[in-house]
Amino acid sequence: MSTRRQRSAGGVAYPDIKGTLHERTVQALGDQTLRTNLETAASSWAAGQEVMRRDHGMDEMRARAREIRRRNIRDLPALLGEMQANVRKAGGQVVRAADGAEACRYITGLAQARGVTVVAKSKSMATEEIRLNEALEASGIEVVETDLGEWILQLAHQRPSHIIAPAVHLNRGQVAEIFRREAGTDDVPDDREGLVAHARVRLRETFAQAGMGISGVNIGVASTGTVCIVENEGNARLVTSQPRIHVAVMGMERVVADWDDAAHILQILPMAAISQDAANYVNLITGPRREGESDGPEEFHLVIVDGGRGALRGTEFEEVLSCIRCGACLYSCPMWRSVGGQAYGSPYSGPIGAIITPLLEGPSSPASRDLPFMSSLCGACGDACPVGIPLPDLLVRARARASSPATRKSAVAFRAWSLLLRRGLTYRVGVVGWRLFVRVRGTDGWVTRLPGGGAGWTRVRDMPARWPPRR
Amino acid sequence: MAATPVSDHLLDALVASLTRRTATSQVVDDADAGRATARWMADAGVARAVLPRDPVIARIDLGAALRREGIEVIDWPTSLGRREVLGLEGPEAVCGVTVPALAVAERGTLVLEASPGHGRGLDVTSRHHVAILPAERIVETLAEALARTFATGGPVPSAVSLVSGPSRSSDIEKISTLGAHGAVSEHVVIVR
Repeated sequence: MSTRRQRSAGGVAYPDIKGTLHERTVQALGDQTLRTNLETAASSWAAGQEVMRRDHGMDEMRARAREIRRRNIRDLPALLGEMQANVRKAGGQVVRAADGAEACRYITGLAQARGVTVVAKSKSMATEEIRLNEALEASGIEVVETDLGEWILQLAHQRPSHIIAPAVHLNRGQVAEIFRREAGTDDVPDDREGLVAHARVRLRETFAQAGMGISGVNIGVASTGTVCIVENEGNARLVTSQPRIHVAVMGMERVVADWDDAAHILQILPMAAISQDAANYVNLITGPRREGESDGPEEFHLVIVDGGRGALRGTEFEEVLSCIRCGACLYSCPMWRSVGGQAYGSPYSGPIGAIITPLLEGPSSPASRDLPFMSSLCGACGDACPVGIPLPDLLVRARARASSPATRKSAVAFRAWSLLLRRGLTYRVGVVGWRLFVRVRGTDGWVTRLPGGGAGWTRVRDMPARWPPRR
Repeated sequence: MAATPVSDHLLDALVASLTRRTATSQVVDDADAGRATARWMADAGVARAVLPRDPVIARIDLGAALRREGIEVIDWPTSLGRREVLGLEGPEAVCGVTVPALAVAERGTLVLEASPGHGRGLDVTSRHHVAILPAERIVETLAEALARTFATGGPVPSAVSLVSGPSRSSDIEKISTLGAHGAVSEHVVIVR
């Protein structure tokens, strides 16, 4: 077991992302195809949520889900200890990693020690967060994403745009083009069925070769040391049953106490994520294969990643640890629906990503400090969250915590503003002074350009030089 | 076999849930189960079936019924190589047969437990998946099924798979497409 170190700052947002958040947002807004693709996805999700609420009592399930997750987070140290003991009892190995670098070092070292050349991966946000693929590839190990959406992105050298539907920003024609380039032939069908069948055959070759399978963990059940991996395609089962070694990477907050908790979370997760009352496959894995069994991995390793999570317990942001990564807040968010996940520059996008990315990185990280402002605070995310995280409140608190030249400047401006308004005399002097200023500044009765901090305001509007304005 | 009365309510609910999940099902009597399953597979064009080592399979004598339909029978555990298990070699129309430990009526979910006689990949490595389900194993809710499987106080299986319908992906344009990595079709034979 590793020694616990102070969490290292930084490292969640993509280091190679291009442009500022503002530039990426403007660019995404201009991409009509992207907006159509996002709108298609979000509206089909929203229609499904109506059905979940009406026919499956989803609203009633939320309160209990929130209670379960808050209790799990409160008991986290004890639950992790129990989880660890039970995985070991089942013959598995457990590693606690203080940060992503430590997790990557362990997994890469294991792959090298066992002579692994090809790794088959199923979808995992935790491995995206710790940038495991880059670490393995840097050691000369081939990594193949086997979730259809993730594979498409890997071939296109793109980042995921949604927690559970990573390639949702691409349409069928774009996917066919990506597959043709990879296969080096035009002989790839255009229809959805054909594209899915093409991927199935190509990826079976990977499953035949892979010496290690790497998966994420949706929830860990402490009472039996079981990891639950939820999926629809069947690739996670192949990842966890075909290669000789299975490595499961779990964010430390993903643990629940027992099967009572697990049953409830496993039910509400697909409801929130895909508007279905069950996912197609839920893989419940307790240690490696047992004696006499003829498939399944001979080695099972559970890597539990802190990465800044532990430090959030007991803070005003503790409830973000309740998140079950369903992606509902993304689909519900008018910002995400307009620009997609890639503009955020982090594996975690949408409202939850705008809160946790800067929390995990530290408040002054240039890559993520502006993210809490990617919200209109409309509250839709708070209504969508199946575990009742008060996302709008946390966005406001995350803004208060953000620190950049821009936030410091606006803090000074608002302090001056409040001093001015607090006394009658300074207020009246200010009003008279401002009237005089705009009268002198205006031409034809309108001020079209303000100096300094006011320039942003007049970039898209004019201010009347007198009231009522001249038409 | 102790005769447990089978609730029609649970049976009907399971059949409805399976249909909702685009799985097919049929309800047969114990004596007819082997023959009916073999006929269904023959109609689906199955060339090879992989059978778990399970008392239910032996009781309905599925192997003999399949051979009579001209379907090749592979018994699990098998000496086939990994490429052939994955369908990269050998016939394409392979059907993996499972015997669920439980089934959830409310959601159309099958609970498959790994054991020496029952491989954990049987249903996803093959093109088709046929489950032979004794009707007395149907329970109402997922919570009940999980409690029976895991909250026993004894050792839990190394791998349990909850399977709710054939493999699908909605990764392209959010539209559900069947047969992503696992079985393209799922058929449940409920044995009374």
